[in-house]
Amino acid sequence: MTLTMQYKQTLKMQVLRSVGFYTVVAIMQIIISLGIAIGFTYLFSDPEQQSVLYLATGAPTIVLLMTGLVLLPVHITNNRSEGYDEFLRTLPVNRAAILLADTTIWLLITLPGILISMLITNLMFAPGYAISPWFFLVYLLCGLTCVGVGYGYANALPPTLAMSLSQIIAFVALMFSPINFPMSRLPVWLQVVHTVLPLDSMAKMMRSTLAMGTFEVSIFDIIKVFIWCILGFAVAIKILNKK
Amino acid sequence: MNETGMIKIDNIIKVFEGKRGKVIANNGISLSVNHGEIVGLLGHNGAGKTTLVNQMLGLLKPTSGEITIMGQSIIRNPKQGRMLCSVQPQSQLSLGELSPLKAVTIMGQMRGGNETEMKAEAMRLFEALDITEWINKECNQLSGGVKRLTAFCMAVIHSKQVIILDEPTNDVDPVRRRYLWSEIKKLTQQGKGVILVTHNVAEAENVVDKVAILHHGKILRYGTAAQVSGKNGKDLRLTFLPSKGFTNDNLPEWATDVMPIEERIAFAVQKERLHLAVDWVRGQVECGAVYDYSLSESTLEDVYVKLTSEKENGNNDLNHAI
Repeated sequence: MTLTMQYKQTLKMQVLRSVGFYTVVAIMQIIISLGIAIGFTYLFSDPEQQSVLYLATGAPTIVLLMTGLVLLPVHITNNRSEGYDEFLRTLPVNRAAILLADTTIWLLITLPGILISMLITNLMFAPGYAISPWFFLVYLLCGLTCVGVGYGYANALPPTLAMSLSQIIAFVALMFSPINFPMSRLPVWLQVVHTVLPLDSMAKMMRSTLAMGTFEVSIFDIIKVFIWCILGFAVAIKILNKK
Repeated sequence: MNETGMIKIDNIIKVFEGKRGKVIANNGISLSVNHGEIVGLLGHNGAGKTTLVNQMLGLLKPTSGEITIMGQSIIRNPKQGRMLCSVQPQSQLSLGELSPLKAVTIMGQMRGGNETEMKAEAMRLFEALDITEWINKECNQLSGGVKRLTAFCMAVIHSKQVIILDEPTNDVDPVRRRYLWSEIKKLTQQGKGVILVTHNVAEAENVVDKVAILHHGKILRYGTAAQVSGKNGKDLRLTFLPSKGFTNDNLPEWATDVMPIEERIAFAVQKERLHLAVDWVRGQVECGAVYDYSLSESTLEDVYVKLTSEKENGNNDLNHAI
């Protein structure tokens, strides 16, 4: 059987096994995305358009982070506890087909949250979206980075530790990441940490393609995200092929 | 039976190195499975059965030794392990919202079958196992037995030449167990080789062609059930319920392999000593030392308990049946 057929059957099995769960996750992402893009504006009595645009263009990155780095690892950790990942390892399919199927599902889950929140925010505030032709590629790279890193650490760490880390990431991503506010507002030591982590760079990349001309991104940010993407998937592939 | 050795396991050693030192999970295991043969792997928890299976599937790399399936080395090409074997894992499959029909059909398609044929084959299996009323329910709503039978169907649909079943009858009711064994027999009639991993020795005795008793990573005995269960099947077993005053001194001096079984005591009787055994036990009943008794052929379970108990007690003086 070809890799394409293996991918198709694995995708079908993974979707049908957890279709209800994936639907709930997709709805949660819509709520989170709207919460950031719209709800955060209530913090200001008279929000400037620039602030609204900053929040609206940060929301998609939060959706990607919450999905790939928090919910995906929780799902994988549950699968490991239930022995389902051991079963997957015995399937007569290439391991790449399993990884590709899971990556597809988790990327697709993020789309409703991103698209619906952009639509509603635009209708309510018209914050000045200017979508670049590179948006989809940047979305793919950032999404793959989140999924790769999430997949990697969820498989590499003991389940309890992976579960705890996912909760810490959720907290850090929402409260202490320069996604919904500028980096300069963070303590210096946290700024140093964020020069290594990909969160800030992903947010800059997404922003630069959602509000073209208003926000910019450096080549350094793109390279950093790319390296994290490769690292995440390398760990995931190594763990999947572990003997 | 075609003696072609579709699976050959040769002197497999698997050592796990952990913080507490080395653990030898498999220690020089050799066995073979031919076309159309059912080979049982019997052993306590931790005997090394699942480790052996995982090495056959290419999921674990042996420390040394060779595993060949259908002429292909699994050590050199581990991926072939799971491509050549169909497996029912020991743990209960967590299939979530999938229905048995969809789960089994998709598994058949993963093995290269087309959807229509696989759906029809899945229906045949469900009917054979009498579980059709549950096939469209979500797996997370099913009983343990139906989940187990679904996992069995997933293992055997459009299966490869080698089928590995790890505790397939756990949680399954006695009637459907018979249906399941009947399906396994059909697979062997198609020339497929089956490895049955189980704790259920009594059940295994009726279905396996060969059996390997594993204990602490070693094979204690390996051969046909008859070879392993007795000295050419000539031993009988006398089981009796002793009174409170019964002591070991009451036992005849020719009693061998004495074994307590809950409140009862059993010992082996060679067939030529049958009349002695009957006279002795009747005498014990008459004097009130024994309440009741039964005489039966020695079973594989007796041998299994004896062998593993002796090993626990440090008696290494046991010979392989073959």
